[in-house]
Amino acid sequence: MYKAAHFDGYHSIPGVWDEMYLQSSDIRAHYQKVIDYLSQESPDELGKKEELAQRLFMKQGITFTVYNSGEGIEKIFPFDIIPRIITGSEWDFVEKGIKQRLTALNLFLKDIYHNQFIIKDGIIPIDAIYSCPHFTREMYQVDVPYDIYVHIAGIDLIRDEEGTFYVLEDNLRTPSGVSYMLENREITKRLFPDLLPNCGVRSVTEYPNILYKNLQSLSPRRISNPTIVLLSPGIYNSAYFEHTTLARLMGVELVEGRDLVVNNQKVYMKTTTGLQQVDVIYRRVDDEYLDPLVFNPNSILGVAGIMGAYRKGNVAIVNAIGNGVADDKAIYIYVPDMIKYYLNEEPILKNVPTYRLNNPDEQKYVFDNINKMVVKKTNGSGGYGMLMGHAASQEEIDEYKLEILKQPRDFIAQPTISLSAAPCYIQGALRPRRIDLRPYALCGPDGIEIVPGGLTRVALKEGSLVVNSSQGGGSKDTWVLA
Amino acid sequence: MPEFKIQHVTRYTYDGAVRDSANQIILFPIVDIYQDVQKHDLHITGNPIVDTHVDYYGNEVGSFTYSVPHNQMIINSQLVVNTHHRPLPVDDIFPAQQWDNLAQLQYTVPYIDFLKHEYFDGLRELQVVVDAEKKEGDTPYQIALNFCQYVYKNFEYIKGVTTVESQLDEIWKLKAGVCQDFAHMLTEMLRLVNIPARYVSGYICPNQSGMRGEGATHAWAEAYIPNYGWLGLDPTNNCIANETHVRLAVGRNFLDCSPVKGVYKGSSGHHLQVAVSVGYQDHEPEPAIDQFVDRVTKPGPFAGNGNDASKNSYQRYMEMIQQQQQQQQ
Repeated sequence: MYKAAHFDGYHSIPGVWDEMYLQSSDIRAHYQKVIDYLSQESPDELGKKEELAQRLFMKQGITFTVYNSGEGIEKIFPFDIIPRIITGSEWDFVEKGIKQRLTALNLFLKDIYHNQFIIKDGIIPIDAIYSCPHFTREMYQVDVPYDIYVHIAGIDLIRDEEGTFYVLEDNLRTPSGVSYMLENREITKRLFPDLLPNCGVRSVTEYPNILYKNLQSLSPRRISNPTIVLLSPGIYNSAYFEHTTLARLMGVELVEGRDLVVNNQKVYMKTTTGLQQVDVIYRRVDDEYLDPLVFNPNSILGVAGIMGAYRKGNVAIVNAIGNGVADDKAIYIYVPDMIKYYLNEEPILKNVPTYRLNNPDEQKYVFDNINKMVVKKTNGSGGYGMLMGHAASQEEIDEYKLEILKQPRDFIAQPTISLSAAPCYIQGALRPRRIDLRPYALCGPDGIEIVPGGLTRVALKEGSLVVNSSQGGGSKDTWVLA
Repeated sequence: MPEFKIQHVTRYTYDGAVRDSANQIILFPIVDIYQDVQKHDLHITGNPIVDTHVDYYGNEVGSFTYSVPHNQMIINSQLVVNTHHRPLPVDDIFPAQQWDNLAQLQYTVPYIDFLKHEYFDGLRELQVVVDAEKKEGDTPYQIALNFCQYVYKNFEYIKGVTTVESQLDEIWKLKAGVCQDFAHMLTEMLRLVNIPARYVSGYICPNQSGMRGEGATHAWAEAYIPNYGWLGLDPTNNCIANETHVRLAVGRNFLDCSPVKGVYKGSSGHHLQVAVSVGYQDHEPEPAIDQFVDRVTKPGPFAGNGNDASKNSYQRYMEMIQQQQQQQQ
């Protein structure tokens, strides 16, 4: 049907939702223009574009760091030149679903650190909350501006073989990756300049402006030009590239803990002209390291006394402290119940079925069916410390079971979901690879805004279901059509 | 109605000038019908503003900063406190009913936090002891008294063998320690039989000297007794903590109640003196004696420019890299 050689041999994976092909191997309509364009390009030309993309990433230093035995190895985030396309109606659905979910999660955090109605009414077992290591008793009765706890959320979505969207996990502490969403778009603009307007792709470039507007609105001092800083753990962090990018795009100071000092419950930044009071901190430092006086006393990255300034309302911290209780994977199970409880609505986005390993019946079920399961740590992230039952050896499984039995509360299991696939340009030809989607939602006093797009992560290894960049995943530009 | 005059002095002397110190103090006695504060003078070097808030456990917590370079910091807390004798539990309800009552509290706030026992290597051995001490038909009150006596009899009171950071493992192996360790062990035992137990920090103010724990902040435990409430048990002195014990704070463990802690920037070399003295009625407190410094949370030198003596520059650098590599979501 298409003459270009790179289309030869593209076979969608049986039993998997293919974003481009219908089952009859017809193209889905929203991919038509891209396919038309690609079929006019020679493999040579596409190869050049791929090379250009790699050079641009390298030149701009768009990297991430893989942690390995204590040494950080900085790598280029692999980028696939073929965009992932989402239709306007699919996006509307996703957007509504995330807004609903985030509204409920914010209400949950306010509730759990104040009246705890949801526990009293028996919707979430008290034990699930009080055994969560991120349930931060220091946040009890602390009021945060506009009752917003989750200012920035990265909600991970996947699609099953029917194309149904599921929430795989909520990232409500320090979600990362948004800079790749922005950079991927910039690169695509250079690779396919005409294609974006021709296809009616919606813009994502507003993201830093919306975030900046929200940060500004949180300033405790009612002044026209509040001091906003981005607090980074430092250059060895995997997301340091992102910290610098966001600080630059928003025009805010990039600081580390040692640049800040607390005096009389106020936070100050050390500048060449003396101390300058800080109003809003977009921090990318975990709670545990934020204040050595209150949390981990060995932290070198934090600011001693910052919790006191926060409690007094003299500084706004984004995201709020203590959010880990809401994105713990054992609490995730109850998010649909939260939506019903706080909003009196049916959840729009579905959860993936999840089993708690501290429940004896569920544990037995998981152990009996471990080949069909993915087991994860309840407070882990980045794809570290996870067991993919279908791919693991008996030895690995036995070892992992021992780990689980030590601290069953720290683990959950989910059936292996067959992620949807999208075409990727691999060694001169299009090949299907598994993908997920992480849209970024911004919550401010005016409500929740989600730029139309997100980060599509790709499992570049053939047959792999793990999309995490730390596990050899890459990414694609994500197009939402008008 | 005893009246106690308590003076609690904490003095940090640093080798060189330090700055940007941030501190947290939990030195404000709990006020309830058994205890009230007549007077509280708090003098801190540099006269910083002490901001107070009530924490999750209901304790009043003060925080202050002192940013200008300084070589010494003194926190001098002078209290006049009245205490009132609290009648002991009557304990005339059927044991089964009392245990039932406790079982119902298990999954409620705040008791859930005070029932979570710690895991340590000697847990199995302790479980055997606990099972043996718990007689069929005993009430929670009787068992609490038994356990208190068990700790008193089986652990030796020796200063200096443990530190503020000692865990149950260490205490269990040594079978020795000071009040903080005794209280820690007793809370663990009570929690193992489903009696909610809290850690208490405060002062012991006996009318005659010779009680253990004088001259420093003291620590003991509280057990939750049905139809009574929190009962103070002092395993260091094998007695019920009543009008001779002045309560400063309650929590799950020492960390929730730490009377004084701080972080500063600068040289790590420092000298710490802590003294608590108690006067009765018209008698002024005796001059404070310097002891028990190992029972106080040491202030931590902080950030890259601090000189943590236990690590060399390279090790500190590697630790910084390690901390920076926290996983972003």
